[in-house]
Amino acid sequence: MKKVDLVGVGMTVFGKHPDKTGRDLLLEAVRETVSHVDMGIDIKKDVKALFIGYFTPELYEHQGHIGALAAEWLGLSGIPAFRTESACASSSAAFATGYWAVASGMYDLVMVGGVEKMTGLNTAGVTDALSIAADNIYELPTGITFPGLFALMAQEYFEKYHVTWDDLQAIPIKNHHNGALNPRAQFRSEILDIAEKTGNKIGVKFKDEMTFLKSPSNPAVTYPIRLFDCCPISDGAAVAVLASGDISKNFTDKPLHVEGIGLGTDTITLSGRKDLTSSKAIVNAARAAYQMAGVKPEEIDTAEVHDCFTINEAIITEDLGFFGRGEGLKAAKEGRTALSGDKPVNTDGGLKCKGHPVGATGIGMIHEIWLQLRGEAGERQVKGNPEIGLTCNVGGSNASAVVLIFKR
Amino acid sequence: MMMVKDYLDGLKNGRIPGSRCKRCGNVMFPLKPVCSDCGSFDLNELQSKGKGVVRSCTVIYAAPVRLKDSAPYVVGLIKLEEGASIMGRIIGTDPDHPDDIKAGTKVKFEPLKQGDEIVVAFRPQQ
Repeated sequence: MKKVDLVGVGMTVFGKHPDKTGRDLLLEAVRETVSHVDMGIDIKKDVKALFIGYFTPELYEHQGHIGALAAEWLGLSGIPAFRTESACASSSAAFATGYWAVASGMYDLVMVGGVEKMTGLNTAGVTDALSIAADNIYELPTGITFPGLFALMAQEYFEKYHVTWDDLQAIPIKNHHNGALNPRAQFRSEILDIAEKTGNKIGVKFKDEMTFLKSPSNPAVTYPIRLFDCCPISDGAAVAVLASGDISKNFTDKPLHVEGIGLGTDTITLSGRKDLTSSKAIVNAARAAYQMAGVKPEEIDTAEVHDCFTINEAIITEDLGFFGRGEGLKAAKEGRTALSGDKPVNTDGGLKCKGHPVGATGIGMIHEIWLQLRGEAGERQVKGNPEIGLTCNVGGSNASAVVLIFKR
Repeated sequence: MMMVKDYLDGLKNGRIPGSRCKRCGNVMFPLKPVCSDCGSFDLNELQSKGKGVVRSCTVIYAAPVRLKDSAPYVVGLIKLEEGASIMGRIIGTDPDHPDDIKAGTKVKFEPLKQGDEIVVAFRPQQ
């Protein structure tokens, strides 16, 4: 197998882009990526195949056949190109496909990306579109929604580990702190600043974050999950270039090496799982990635994990082996996952603040690891020259997962 | 061979269809066509008696478009007496008091008519 290196990454700002379609966003991310390849790249000449993640283009843009469309829009028509779909892990699926294509020796350089243009639908429409990542015969007819599935996990977690919703709030507070430092994030404000702004509008003074988070200004979505436990609806795209280790030096002398890659699945039905506080998809993906990289959980310097709902950051950091079972919330409360902690998690604000344009999220995570490991993360740079970074991107209710380990 | 139609037909007739592996005895609800434990294709159909306890439950305030007039409502995961779990609506409880339904609350199956379809639902037992 060939070694595979990451030689460039780029992304749009995640958020609302009312004037742009999916293909416009993808082009913007490609232009960013090209500008980030240290020694330059001629995509027309260098890119041998293109893989794009997009979860539900049919529903958002009444568009299918994304591979050929993207290739034409990028001036690459002629090369192999197709779409990958694994719900919220669609762009990590594109990355994995690109990895296999280069590692096999079939292509020496490929472009992988992801995009989702969501804000054209209203909240109810987006809720419906997202819901098809769950079982449409066995579970959706009950009226369950995605926030509902994660609420069921949260309830079982609370019951099992004797914690409450209050204990969960360290996670959104931390992620808002990080998001405030990220110019590409959808929300660039501390929760305290949002509380003050909201308070001024309605004539209330919130004395601290918890007073605000427990107020009607943070409404219930699905008990016990409230609005600030949920990631927003976003538009955005992210793109990466993967090259064989034989030629990566032609593009940069600071590549990131893809050291570990692992994938897995769990049942798509929650009813099929014996334990809702863990995911077989994540555990299996992590085990494979650690084994391939020859790295232990304690050696990861910084990680990006899929906090689509706040409870999931706790579940994932435990499934990745960063903390013991039931200790994920405690670790967040103690500041261990903060920028200054011993295991910084979601330094870009996570899905909660950076945004979650579903099909773009996985490569959006890789973008942050790229910046952190190259020492280019600015105000939110993790101290101590981080060397090893990890991403954990999941599909739906953690029913599919991709874990990637990068070294500089 | 078991098909989705077997599940839907069973539900229409007021039953919860499941399956039991002939090789290893694994019980699956709702029915699965292949054993999730040993991979055997050789299964028997099994009907649930419809009794169980709540594992986890939630109140849906932000509902899908087709159910927006029904919100808020309660959905839970029920562990059936036969040993597997199933998701269902929980009826006959006040969504404004979500803590009334705790893990371990006994419930009984009661099919719920929702438009043209029958939905898996459970009612708490005294």
